[in-house]
Amino acid sequence: MASALARPLITVYSEKNEKTGTSLHLPVVFKAPIRPDVVSFVHHQMSKNRRQPYAVNKDAGHQTSAESWGTGRAVARIPRVRGGGTHRSGQGAFGNMCRGGRMFAPTKTWRRWHRRINVNQRRFALVSSIAASGVPALVMSKGHMVHDIPELPLVVSDKVQSFNKTKQAVIFLRRIKAWTDVQKVYRSRRLRAGKGKMRNRRRVQRRGPLIIYGEDQGLKLAFRNIPGVDVCSVKKLSLLKLAPGGHVGRFIIWTESAFRALDAIYGTWSSPSSEKKDYNLPTPKMTNTDLSRLLKAEEIRKVLRTPHKRPVRAVRKQNPLRNVRAMLKLNPYAAVLKRKAILTIQKKHLDKQEFLAKKTGVPLQKTKQQVRYEQLIQKRKEAIQKSKAAKPKTAKKAKKAPAAK
Amino acid sequence: MAGIPAHLSWAIIRNNNAFLVKKRNIKKPFSTEPSNLSNLASFRFNGLIHKKTLGVEPAKEGKGFQLVWKKTRNQHKLSKLTNKTTMKAGPRRSLYKLRRFIVKNGYRKDLTKAALRRASAVLKSQRPVPAKKNRPKKTE
Repeated sequence: MASALARPLITVYSEKNEKTGTSLHLPVVFKAPIRPDVVSFVHHQMSKNRRQPYAVNKDAGHQTSAESWGTGRAVARIPRVRGGGTHRSGQGAFGNMCRGGRMFAPTKTWRRWHRRINVNQRRFALVSSIAASGVPALVMSKGHMVHDIPELPLVVSDKVQSFNKTKQAVIFLRRIKAWTDVQKVYRSRRLRAGKGKMRNRRRVQRRGPLIIYGEDQGLKLAFRNIPGVDVCSVKKLSLLKLAPGGHVGRFIIWTESAFRALDAIYGTWSSPSSEKKDYNLPTPKMTNTDLSRLLKAEEIRKVLRTPHKRPVRAVRKQNPLRNVRAMLKLNPYAAVLKRKAILTIQKKHLDKQEFLAKKTGVPLQKTKQQVRYEQLIQKRKEAIQKSKAAKPKTAKKAKKAPAAK
Repeated sequence: MAGIPAHLSWAIIRNNNAFLVKKRNIKKPFSTEPSNLSNLASFRFNGLIHKKTLGVEPAKEGKGFQLVWKKTRNQHKLSKLTNKTTMKAGPRRSLYKLRRFIVKNGYRKDLTKAALRRASAVLKSQRPVPAKKNRPKKTE
């Protein structure tokens, strides 16, 4: 059973989507813990760092010499514009509620636009998003069309780095079966909803594959005109590109040199990073996150108590004086007593009827049940007498003698 | 290779993925990924996160259904991940074949009922719709 931290071999594919002979060990970054919460937080903080300040003019609403008329003039006490001869005179000024007044809490340029993020947090997020890009489920869930690519993480030979024509880049993406993702970008081109349209943010589209290279020998020029495709150097990975929107699982195409460089840049757990000072990959909180495996594991099962498969549920108390079955549970002989009582009543009723019948001379009409009952009694009597007659009398006497002693 | 266990992936994508569909007044969200037998967004039925998944789609010719399943070895080789067979025998035999496949291979036995249901639904949709009988209006 391979542990979750085993490092499989990844084949490098040529730019024509054939397997080159090379295969590389999966860099340990891909085994880092995936923490979408950290990624999301860091991404949101980071995305604030490109903001340009906006503010209202600092004089707005104050370029009047208005003064309140005070009380006693049957008007509200808001400051009013001085002078006369124009509509503006006597109108309210300065307040946020006034027409032409300044706004409430005028926005200032010295608002804290940018956020600083701890270096370690930044790196954690980055490493998490790289790890997530190696999981097919997460990349597909993000919406990338990666059904036909040869392998994930996708590593391509360094020849790609020396592409300088877009045509070459397109052919390459087609061959590698990443073109469907780019087509999805094309199909997703639409106008932005909202006022951004008139603020130079008119068109929106999806993100496509990200290409991470070790050395740019023209690659940037080749890929930059393809919509949705982003390009990035290994040495300058950015969370904004690796986890666009704050969501993990971008489709990444690595070049061979970029892939090889990862172990040195981020370190393995046994050796710290050589490029970053004092950095080692974050240790996961759980080495084995497979819940279903854990629940079936011997070590855990041994410590658990036996499962209660049939939980004992509280039963509603039934009153035995009103509920026959409850009574029978407590006192089975009650059935006999009850039946006896019922039969006695029936018999008494029958006897009374017979008596009346005799008296009045009207023959009694017995119900079917009564008739059958009488027949039954009769039969029983006959059967008993028969069996008595059948038994030899001596045996009985012999039996009785020792019992009497 | 164990890869990422399904539970972890589910925790990441359960409320946040491209296939999630939420509709008004419906508590349980739907999911539009290809190998989801019930189209519900749930751990068990998700078509992406498990090592073994089942998909039942209508066959392209218009008759029968296609069974799509994941090969357990090639979890990271996406082009070789899925296998497909078309079942175009009549309904009884196709469903029998489907059930056999699942149960005998022990391939996601927890999905047998759902798979059979979906296959029946596919087959039903391929049958010609019976002509509506014009009922004479009841007088009185």
